[in-house]
Amino acid sequence: MNKRLLIIDDDPDFVSGIKAILDSANYEVEVAYNPKDGFQALQSKHFDLLLLDIMMGRGAEGIMIARKLRKDAKLRELPVLIITGIREQIAFLFPGEPVHPRFVEIDELVEKPVEPKMLLEKVETLIQAAEAKKVKK
Amino acid sequence: MADTITFSEEVSNLLYATEGEPLKTCIQCGTCSGTCPVAGYMDHTPRQIIALINQGRKEEVLNSNTYWYCASCYHCTVRCPQEINISELMYALKRYSIWKHQHKEGLVGPTFSEAFVKMIIRTGRSFEPILAPSYIFSFNLREFLLEVQNATELLLKGRLPILPARIKRMDNFKRMLGRIIPMGGLE
Repeated sequence: MNKRLLIIDDDPDFVSGIKAILDSANYEVEVAYNPKDGFQALQSKHFDLLLLDIMMGRGAEGIMIARKLRKDAKLRELPVLIITGIREQIAFLFPGEPVHPRFVEIDELVEKPVEPKMLLEKVETLIQAAEAKKVKK
Repeated sequence: MADTITFSEEVSNLLYATEGEPLKTCIQCGTCSGTCPVAGYMDHTPRQIIALINQGRKEEVLNSNTYWYCASCYHCTVRCPQEINISELMYALKRYSIWKHQHKEGLVGPTFSEAFVKMIIRTGRSFEPILAPSYIFSFNLREFLLEVQNATELLLKGRLPILPARIKRMDNFKRMLGRIIPMGGLE
């Protein structure tokens, strides 16, 4: 069975780009263009991986979603790939090295613009890491 | 699900958590424009901006100075018969244009906002002498001299500090900010 991915990102141009890449790698991709629809989709359907943007809606809404995920017993296990242009968007908040705080249990951060090959690699590793973790339990 | 979304939907997504009716319900009555105290300085009045968004004319909306001139007095929002939150819309457009680097050139707003936020994060307080350069050079000579004179008088009366003040317990404040904006080293 194909893996099911959910993209939550408010930028339609970017979404159509990565969706095309992921479609070509035989993933089943769903898209939500705002955090509210996105979270509803997460709760009502099953996904193997979430691709999450940070700067949406009123500000750093992506982080709010990550926090909600961490509190949700069922969704806590969901691997998350954070794709963000945050350093470019609010560059002045990051004085030095790229920062990757841990948002959920299994996550990874990729900065926009995204290399197709790297994106697919990260998606693959994250899904595998989540499955390995499930088996262990 | 549709493949892509329109500009108008994109803007609605920025406003998804706002109270009030979505832009689609606008009846173009012009109450917002009539109420707006700065409408005279805007390229497009607030009513025109809503119409342009609903027509999906993204370039024109982003190239207008309207949302950067908004004084956030909320008078339009209060008087809108359709209860559209127009002030919030202006904020949404500011965010959108900053995130996409697509605002009009030569505006004071974006540089001023950046200088202001940076300063608050660094010291927790507003300090006018650092803010001034973001707008003072757009003045003509007379306005510039008036501003300098004003500042000197304030300085002599002790109303303008020479060195920026810092708030107490800066660490607590930074942690608080970190909950709101993803600064380096969140949690």
